[in-house]
Amino acid sequence: MTYEPVIGLEIHVQLNAATKMFCDCPNRPGDEPNLNTCPVCLWMPGALPVLSAEALDKATLACLALNCTVQPESAFDQKVYYYPDLPKGFQLSQHHRPLSRNGWLDIVDEHGQTKRLGIHHIHMEEDVAKLIHETEGRTPISLVDFNRAGAPLIEIVTEPDMRSPYDAVEFLKALRTQIRYSGASDCSLEQGTMRVDANISLRSPGTDELNTKVEVKNMNSIRHVGDAIAYEIDRQRECLEKGEAIVLHTRLWDPDKRITAPMRSKFSGPCVPDPSVPKISVADEWLEGIKARVPEMPARKIERFITQYGLSREEAAAVAQERDLSEFFEAALSYGTPSRKAASWLTAQVLPSLRDQDRMIAETPLTPERFASLLAMLKREDIHANAAKEVLLALLVDDKPPEEIVDTRGFRQVSDSSRLESIVDHVIAAYPSDVQEYRNGKTKVLGFLMGQAMKSSEGKANPKVLKDLFARKLA
Amino acid sequence: MESTAFTFRETSLPSPPSPSPLGHMRVLIQPNLSVRGWPTSAGSRALEGFEALEDATIVTLLSKAGAFLIGSAHMSELGLGLSGDTVAQLIAQGQAQIGIMTDTLGEARLAAAHARLFGFKPSQGTVSRLGLIGLVPSMECCGVVGRNLEDIVSAMTAISKRDPQDVSMTKEALPDFDSVPSLRSETARLVVVEEYLDTLESREARAFEHALRRIERHAGLPVKQVHLPDYHLFAPIHQVVGSVEASSSAGKYDGVRYGHRTPSARNWNEMYLNSRGESFNTLIKSYLFQGAYFQFERYASFENACRIRARLLDQAREAMADTDCLVFLTRRPAHDPYRAATIKATYDAFASTLAANVTGQPSIQIPGLVADSEDDDLGVLLTGPALSDPLLLSIALHISKSNKGVSLT
Repeated sequence: MTYEPVIGLEIHVQLNAATKMFCDCPNRPGDEPNLNTCPVCLWMPGALPVLSAEALDKATLACLALNCTVQPESAFDQKVYYYPDLPKGFQLSQHHRPLSRNGWLDIVDEHGQTKRLGIHHIHMEEDVAKLIHETEGRTPISLVDFNRAGAPLIEIVTEPDMRSPYDAVEFLKALRTQIRYSGASDCSLEQGTMRVDANISLRSPGTDELNTKVEVKNMNSIRHVGDAIAYEIDRQRECLEKGEAIVLHTRLWDPDKRITAPMRSKFSGPCVPDPSVPKISVADEWLEGIKARVPEMPARKIERFITQYGLSREEAAAVAQERDLSEFFEAALSYGTPSRKAASWLTAQVLPSLRDQDRMIAETPLTPERFASLLAMLKREDIHANAAKEVLLALLVDDKPPEEIVDTRGFRQVSDSSRLESIVDHVIAAYPSDVQEYRNGKTKVLGFLMGQAMKSSEGKANPKVLKDLFARKLA
Repeated sequence: MESTAFTFRETSLPSPPSPSPLGHMRVLIQPNLSVRGWPTSAGSRALEGFEALEDATIVTLLSKAGAFLIGSAHMSELGLGLSGDTVAQLIAQGQAQIGIMTDTLGEARLAAAHARLFGFKPSQGTVSRLGLIGLVPSMECCGVVGRNLEDIVSAMTAISKRDPQDVSMTKEALPDFDSVPSLRSETARLVVVEEYLDTLESREARAFEHALRRIERHAGLPVKQVHLPDYHLFAPIHQVVGSVEASSSAGKYDGVRYGHRTPSARNWNEMYLNSRGESFNTLIKSYLFQGAYFQFERYASFENACRIRARLLDQAREAMADTDCLVFLTRRPAHDPYRAATIKATYDAFASTLAANVTGQPSIQIPGLVADSEDDDLGVLLTGPALSDPLLLSIALHISKSNKGVSLT
């Protein structure tokens, strides 16, 4: 019996607003524990929440980037449950009236088909505190860090439109790109600014039924999300084949054992409207202002790069995948760098180095101007391509001018034929038998002679000039 | 009595009076209003030993206007009901000119009636709630009790100010309390709710009739009748919505960061259960249970209650369309709020005051107008349309002045 997986995701994204959602504490969960706290986020008696305008702006930006319709009115509810990470006994979340609804993202599935995956809604909520479980001697203790309590989040709830781990992974990649572009969040599962829960159920192919689902949590990379879903599909299939019923519950992904295991669920209660946070009424002019801040999104940018700059689709997609890289690319072009040259150097050289160093381009000393002047030196044949690669690596860590790096590291290419002529004469004089072979028609020997000349120039000779000189002298 | 009636007394001397709106008016508060460094237990073991970290906005405003906070008095647990409350007694004794009392069911007004004082509950959203340790956010607010209505008007002028930290305040313009003396209250239009008259016991009905005649005769204000068909729903709606909000907002009392923590618990779940179980009295416990029941087991009823509340707001608005205020008796002689230990007994005692908490309308208790057969001052309660606070106070001043020198019976 074959089964069709039905997959929906619930994705928490931490907005990169400067403050927490309802107070002025810095939104820096990673600081020294309990540093960023105040009566509001510790929920001390008498404190009142004030919704951060920046959090609302960024949440709305993210909603627009995911093609959602921002609702004219939304409101906060109290999601009631008791747990030490939630000192007031409820979490402020938009349960009944979310900020936006009906979004979508397009992906290309494993069969090469474009597929539109629906987003049911996006709501805002505050994050909870972080629990750290340790032992003191032999006594287990639990520590609470309130730095994260009240951090601004959005939760993206998809439609159950995904049919494979591949769909889910592609959806997450697309979502990450869109939100990063909007500037609302870094969306890093590794850094904890994005958390993904997957709901998985199986059904007979061709039916519309939605069977009992199992929720899987604790995946800390997009790849793990795919692996955990794939594991869970197999697990459920085996259960069904053994005649066991699927029970609604939550499982944790274990990245070391690469399995999911059931977890004790938190006691979760109802949601009642919060009387202290006013409802959000969206004014048209405000929404227009946020819409004006939505940048050109990657799908459109890729098309523009193809038509405007003559890039191949692969080059355009690679350059446009991150907003900062695409802006770097266009800035470099403004210094006169040919577009395809810039694109190929960015994708083949710069991107792999950034990935190795796990850095964003803005975090390096490489500016569009420095990048453009390096490519200009290459074009002028001041350096040759291998040297340019070395210089580029240096430019990613060293803020000296590219010319200075070229000179101090001796990368400057010798193209002056009067200087190279004596080297060529010397090689011709030193290898008379090889010269004779060449003259007898064994042209392959030229490679050896070029190599000797290059060696004595310490690798700095312009190979094109060398070749011309040999051709002229041996003719 | 005097020494035990206070929970805290300020010992430092007041600074010499300088010209300021409130002169050096002596103000008594309850220990659920935050004053930095003062014990702030809100009458509950759940906040045992807790000292406020910062001043409530109204404390700042009162001090800035030149008032002197003399201390705090005993209050009911978390401000629900009047069991154990001593604020009104201390004001009646002359310990302070005004007292600030949280009004959730009508506590400020009913306590004032018992002590033959004025008691005022302003419109919802006209006074900041920052620093008020409350229980039912959408219904409670700081009320003011005092022997002189003029003092209450002065205090309101000082504390009804916009607070950027309380975004639940009204978006409308705040009432102009400076205008009270200039408002024309001699032609005010008063009405009684017919459905309210049906609820009165015979002793109350006679006293109320007497009070209305007195208002007509001495203040020259005729009193008409109006329908408010769902009047009987105010109490159940207050109970359902109030208990649900209370259940949520009391969730923060877990004994972890402050307040009573149980000495015996094997794990955190037990710590929560025991700390909370040992902290709350029976009235609060049953109120929180009731709220949790509606949240978890009867959510649809809670949603209905919210809808009916909106309908009650409409009906109250409609009933007041051509009038300036509704008239009620404040007290119910057969129902003593100081002895009420159950939800039912508490709600029975506050039956005529709680409607204004459901609708958020301003409401004032006036003493000295009506006594029943046992010579008990039952108090007259006026409730006006939302944000009509200055006119309501002006009418109360007019009625009260016109009554001066007239014996109660």
